[in-house]
Amino acid sequence: MPGLHHALGVTGVVAALALVPLLPLNDFHLQILFTIGVNYLAAAGLNVLVGYAGQKSLGHAGLFAVGAYTAAIANVDWGINPWLSLVLACGFGAVFGLVIAMPSVRVSGPSLAMVTIGFGIVVEKIVTEWTDIFKGQAGLYGISAPSIFGRSFTNLHWVWFVGLLCIVTHLLLRSLLRGRYGRAFLAVQLAEPAAQSVGISVVRAKTLAFVISAVTCALAGAVVAQQNQYFNSDFITFNLSILFLVVVIFGGSGSLYGPLFGAVILTLLDAWLARWPALQHFTYGALLLFSLYLMPNGIAGALANLVKRSRSAQPPALSPERSLLLEQKRDRGTGPLLVVKDLYKAYGGIVPVRNVGFSISAGKVHALIGPNGAGKTTLLNLLSGHVAPNGGSIRFRDQEIAGEPPHRIAALGIARTFQNLKLFGDLSALDNVLLGAHLHVETSFLPSLLGLTASRRAERAARGQALALLTELGLGERAFEQAKSLPYGLQRRLEIARALASRPRLLLLDEPAAGLNPQETHELGEVIQRIQAAGITVLLIEHHMDLVMGISDHVLVLDYGEKIAEGAPDTIRQDPRVIAAYLGAEDETEAQIEVVA
Amino acid sequence: MTAILQALASGLALGAIYGLIALGFNITYATTKTFNFGQGAFLVPGSLVGVSLLLLAAGKPHWGNLAPSEMTLFTYGLATLASVAIVGAIGILLYYCAIKPFVGVGGLNWVLSTIGFGIILQNTALAIWGPASIAVPSPLGNEVYRIAGAGIRPQEVLVAVVAIAVMVGLDFVIRRTRFGKALRAVAFNPQAAAIVGINVEKIVIIAFVISSALAGLAGILIAPITTASVFIGLGVALKAFSAAIVGGLTNARGCVLGGFLLGLIEALVGLWRAEMREITIFLLIIIVLVVRPSGLLGARSVEKI
Repeated sequence: MPGLHHALGVTGVVAALALVPLLPLNDFHLQILFTIGVNYLAAAGLNVLVGYAGQKSLGHAGLFAVGAYTAAIANVDWGINPWLSLVLACGFGAVFGLVIAMPSVRVSGPSLAMVTIGFGIVVEKIVTEWTDIFKGQAGLYGISAPSIFGRSFTNLHWVWFVGLLCIVTHLLLRSLLRGRYGRAFLAVQLAEPAAQSVGISVVRAKTLAFVISAVTCALAGAVVAQQNQYFNSDFITFNLSILFLVVVIFGGSGSLYGPLFGAVILTLLDAWLARWPALQHFTYGALLLFSLYLMPNGIAGALANLVKRSRSAQPPALSPERSLLLEQKRDRGTGPLLVVKDLYKAYGGIVPVRNVGFSISAGKVHALIGPNGAGKTTLLNLLSGHVAPNGGSIRFRDQEIAGEPPHRIAALGIARTFQNLKLFGDLSALDNVLLGAHLHVETSFLPSLLGLTASRRAERAARGQALALLTELGLGERAFEQAKSLPYGLQRRLEIARALASRPRLLLLDEPAAGLNPQETHELGEVIQRIQAAGITVLLIEHHMDLVMGISDHVLVLDYGEKIAEGAPDTIRQDPRVIAAYLGAEDETEAQIEVVA
Repeated sequence: MTAILQALASGLALGAIYGLIALGFNITYATTKTFNFGQGAFLVPGSLVGVSLLLLAAGKPHWGNLAPSEMTLFTYGLATLASVAIVGAIGILLYYCAIKPFVGVGGLNWVLSTIGFGIILQNTALAIWGPASIAVPSPLGNEVYRIAGAGIRPQEVLVAVVAIAVMVGLDFVIRRTRFGKALRAVAFNPQAAAIVGINVEKIVIIAFVISSALAGLAGILIAPITTASVFIGLGVALKAFSAAIVGGLTNARGCVLGGFLLGLIEALVGLWRAEMREITIFLLIIIVLVVRPSGLLGARSVEKI
């Protein structure tokens, strides 16, 4: 259904573009159409960065400048053909996208805003002041436009050309964003630690988003310079950066069509109000001030709400494939899977993990227990790579992983859940599981961008498997619901499903029974046993002693950052040090752990 | 040497202005995790209202150049108080129009709404005062003080003294008074503050009034240095924002420190090559943030997993 609508929409735009010469349009109108296209190009890429990867940039005028000046200087000073200049502009755009990404991926929030603003201003000042090369306010003259068969572009040709660029950009981005890469960007925006835990490199994802936005922004700048045949430093202002951001957010960030709505409406409004400059500014201000209050998700969001009200969403038909849980049988009883030695982590004077050592044997369920503040979660974070240790070693399948970044550890086969749920709340349950399977959706950047059949086939297979896994865990009915709208118990289970989708050898569960009622806790026990039966080793942190004693083969006890006991559940139950740790009294050795559980 | 001394003096004055505005960013960011991205526009009525009041008092129309004889330190002080009060009141409007709908929602909407408010404010000023800039004399006269051979303008001294006094006073209020305690409580945890009986919204509104008033004060203080015009705000506010981020948006003293650092660097680089000021400053800022993402004195935020 969406495929058909989309094809009709694109055909409609192409037809409208073809009919442009039949309409009574003068050069002013053609210029407006051209500007719509330019704004769309810049905003479409920026939307990937802002709306999908969640990185707010207030400096994209700088990247627009990179494209414009590359196209201009390449042609005027180096005598390079205009077509090649366009390609060169995109290339330089990508390089500068990398440059701005390097500092940007290290910061967030207001500091990110600052870094991007700083980049924009530095570029603005360089092109203004370095007049030897950039000619400052005087500008670069005589930039040639591309030509076909020796005929230079007329204004009509420019509208067609930019329209074509817009359609191609849209198709590429659509294909990219609807699959594995779009999901990864959203995951980074919605919950960074969880994205890392399914094997997504946050740095790489953000960098990619920066580069994509840089390329389209540079392309927009390049076509403006070529169409204008003149470019000077007055184009590059902080306000231009704001304008691009406004097009994205007013149109609806995170929606494929948001930048289109934003570009069309804002450009038209701007052109219409140009006759009354004072009114133009007031309108612009009022638009910024009130429209987001009325439409928090921009025009695309408001339209989506209208459509949703008129028809209920039909989940696409999907045939579940064989479940992953049934498939894997690999690590049943083959020696130690994970060996931890002298692991040490301190936060100032607080030492949540002090020289802890243990080993985890393959195919078993291990429990990690201890009073609150014993360092259990920190230990888990060390194992999953979310926290780097100060010392010690963690060997997983004979490979040292201490201090490795979480996405690399995830790729080696360690999956985890979080004590305070970290689901990708705005995404469907199915998408959450698909993100779990991120490393196993077999497609790479170019095939995804071009929407090649192989890439689509990989996506379809992954969806089938994800649905099978959800069904296996009793979530099949709710696969298309938003994760955050699921009842709490199912959210916990969905996190387990997401972790399983990464096909781990070792599954780390951080208090999976927290907040569950007795019935749900019982079911959780069964799920964990099925996971074990599938050959996946489990390490769980849990306070719920019935559960721990019922399902685990081996129990580790932590107190004040130190391992105080380990062994079979029955031994632990009798251990005087464990009892003391829980009850805080050395002499009440007869007390049983169940008392506090 | 004298040139360096001279640059240091104007750098301190400029830095004091940045610090004042940055402090305003800190106060509202601490309480609401938002701040006024359109703060630059708030400097505009700050300077123009004060100048117009002085002009009207001298029996002239609200727009025109002000002669040195038409103001004294006393009338300048009164005009400053009036400006600060009016811009502070605009802060209330800002809160209800641009902040309240978006507090706690997350996302970037508050950035755009405050920019929108600023655009409207700036264009209102444009409609009232027009685009030309107004020369404003310093109430202390224009005779340059000679200190160790370096010429220091009296307004620079006035700016530094007033701004530092206000910053020290505000620091005292935040750390030592009941209101300051309530402000810090809201900053730390609004829900908990509400539970113990603090009127959170009232505190937040006061924070925006203070933030706006500081911008208004900055506007009238620099008017004799930069002239008063509708277009002075953006550049100054952008540097003040940079000062806040570099010093540490979450730390009031960090914001002031950032302001002075920026002012001094700007003045000293300007001595070398004026056109390199912005480039140097913003490249430095980017480097600082890469090394210390929450600024020089900002609290490092650690997300609990």
